Amino acid sequence: MPGAKPALSALRARIAALEAGTRTPPPVLPFGDPRIDGCFPAGGLPRGGWHEVGGAGLEEETGAAPAAFSALMLRPLAARGAVVWVMRRADLHAPGLAGLSFPTGRLIQVRARDEAEVLSVLEDALATVGVAAAIGEAQSPDLKAGRRLQLACERRGATGILLRRRPYGGPAGPRGDQGREVSGAAAQTRWRIAAAPSQPPPGDPGLGPPRWRVELQRCRGGRPGAWILEQAEAADGPHPFRLVSQLADHDVGEAAAPSVTFGDSSPRGGAANAA
Amino acid sequence: MTAPPEGEQRTPPRSSPSGGGGPEGRRGPSPPLALVAAEGGTRRLAAVDDAAAALGLYVGQKAADAAALVPDLVAADHDPDGDREALEILCDWCVRFSPAVALDGLDGLFLDVEGVSHLWGGEAMMLDDLLARLARWGAPARGAIADTPGAAWALARYAPDRTIAPPGGQAPLLAPLPVAALRLDEAAQAQLPRLGLFQVGQLLALPRAQLARRFGLSAVMRLDQALGAAREALVFRRPATPWFDRLAFFEPISALSDLERVTGDICALLCARLEAEGRGARRFELVFHRLDGKAMPVAAGLSRPGRDAARVAKLLKPKLDTVDPGFGIEVVTLWAAEVEPLSSAQPGLDADDGASLEEGLAPLVDRLVNRLGEDRVWRADPHQSHVPERSVVRHAPLDPQPEDAWDPDRPRPTRLLRRPEAIEVVAKLPDDPPVRFTWRGQSRRVRLAEGPERIGQEWWRKAFDEVGPGKVRDYYRVEDETGERFWIFRAGLYGDGETIPKWWLHGLFG
Repeated sequence: MPGAKPALSALRARIAALEAGTRTPPPVLPFGDPRIDGCFPAGGLPRGGWHEVGGAGLEEETGAAPAAFSALMLRPLAARGAVVWVMRRADLHAPGLAGLSFPTGRLIQVRARDEAEVLSVLEDALATVGVAAAIGEAQSPDLKAGRRLQLACERRGATGILLRRRPYGGPAGPRGDQGREVSGAAAQTRWRIAAAPSQPPPGDPGLGPPRWRVELQRCRGGRPGAWILEQAEAADGPHPFRLVSQLADHDVGEAAAPSVTFGDSSPRGGAANAA
Repeated sequence: MTAPPEGEQRTPPRSSPSGGGGPEGRRGPSPPLALVAAEGGTRRLAAVDDAAAALGLYVGQKAADAAALVPDLVAADHDPDGDREALEILCDWCVRFSPAVALDGLDGLFLDVEGVSHLWGGEAMMLDDLLARLARWGAPARGAIADTPGAAWALARYAPDRTIAPPGGQAPLLAPLPVAALRLDEAAQAQLPRLGLFQVGQLLALPRAQLARRFGLSAVMRLDQALGAAREALVFRRPATPWFDRLAFFEPISALSDLERVTGDICALLCARLEAEGRGARRFELVFHRLDGKAMPVAAGLSRPGRDAARVAKLLKPKLDTVDPGFGIEVVTLWAAEVEPLSSAQPGLDADDGASLEEGLAPLVDRLVNRLGEDRVWRADPHQSHVPERSVVRHAPLDPQPEDAWDPDRPRPTRLLRRPEAIEVVAKLPDDPPVRFTWRGQSRRVRLAEGPERIGQEWWRKAFDEVGPGKVRDYYRVEDETGERFWIFRAGLYGDGETIPKWWLHGLFG
């Protein structure tokens, strides 16, 4: 119906004009680089929802790179309120977070006894006034737990992060991979974080600022992407990350960097593209 | 009436050595019983029951003499610690009558009953109820109520049972009692009868100056304490607090839903009083008193002083599962501790906007602490120590923020292993960072390294042998080819000839 289109767009324009003064843009957490923010529907990480962040290989047990990445990503939010970090294995080292300029005075750490308790504490924290963001370390929430987390996030607009981790190693549980495929459905985004070789400044024998190979595997209403990000220096502006390079495409990027192997990425990659 | 009336009751030592509270002498014709204590090689009676006393036995008698006089005497070892423990249990039980209960020696209790006796319909009814309950359990006791602890002590022991002194009327009641009723020291007590002074009344008639000169100031003080002219401090088992409330039921309750309801009711009672006085409390202790005399306590803590009845009840209710109602619960008491002034806050218009950050967080912290335990919710704060595992101290999340911070020039990992894990290392030179290392069965080639940062043991905390050069740690920050960063250290130094330094992995930067 070619004739209907101008009418429709005129109507849209009128609605937009009506809403212009009143509508508040959906709250987002921008990365400060259009190449990343463009992947999200509203120009930044949606705040009133939860996100899934996982690692690969040994990181599934230690969860070090995902933890550092999550702390950096949520750093701007910590100015608005407290951050609650729920874990089963209390090996988070606050001086390390302070080294990432994370305000540890705003961080409340909670050690839960089991997986179910992690999820319920996370849900409780997200629905509380004064909590800007909450991070929970859990293996694989089922669909129902994921929905509950989403509802808790929506109540106060808090941002949740589910850090995928098997804190005491061992084989994946009986629900294993099936559970993880399902859990992704309720999350706003799904990330996979791995370390990337750093580039020290010329003439400096030590280590450069830390870098991560960041894959946005799935994004509701947006598109996936993959980048190499580096912790931004103070001079780079308020955003915590600096984009080093964009990996051409999700699948191509993976093929181009065979040294970083992801155990179960092929079925996930298909699912992500489908979504 | 200036001095508070004091109730005092007295119990004899436990009747059976097992502490089971067996039947006392007055119930049926049981054999006479005495407790025996060894005293410098001689075994003497430390306590006798009514039946034994009727046969002429007395405290301090040699056990052998007593056994000769009364062949069927049942003797048991005197156990002062056990007596004390039993008395403490009884003391806790008495909290149902008054929040202020003090232990007195090994055989007495002081109850401050000011302002609570009306709950029983008067002092006499209260005393009767207390003694009747004790008698029902086979714990014979005597009691008296008077203005001062000293007078109550004397009347309970030497006056007819259940004497109640009218306010200000101690002196006539004390006058006929023996001087031992004054709690004098041993020397004075031995000297007085020799001088023909047998009764308190005789002492009262003497000039005070002479009394003080002959028997010491303590005698005058004891006299004044009994009459209310001098104050006496009691050490209450719980600090005396007005923040105490109590609900009694006509019928014992036991259903969980009933317990929940009375929890809400009693919280509302106490919190309304706290609010009226502009105060809040940080700890609430709810005690369910069962029909059989056992007390089942349940406690809840708040991170900031509060007086929101619904919130306190909500924290207490999940713990009611642990309360075993037995045959029923007849009394519930609630006790608030750490009471602080708390001004009522006006809710701001932008209350949802994070303006009252801590106000919002406090309920969450309370919920988590009461559910998980205090040691599972914390904020990590800097501590002045170079040793990595001691550089963090855990505080309650809403405690005031400390001023010091971690040194930003010393990079630390985001994950610190609780126990460093041993790694196998290939290094070019002894003091160089490794070229290659193996951790958890995976070999990694080191691409970049930074260090060392030398950290010694804190010699002032350990014995000298444990802080020698062998305990020095050299930390390196290394990055492998995939970019993963590790915090590894070498314990000890090469070249001291004694030990071969070992390498450990202590943390991950991520």
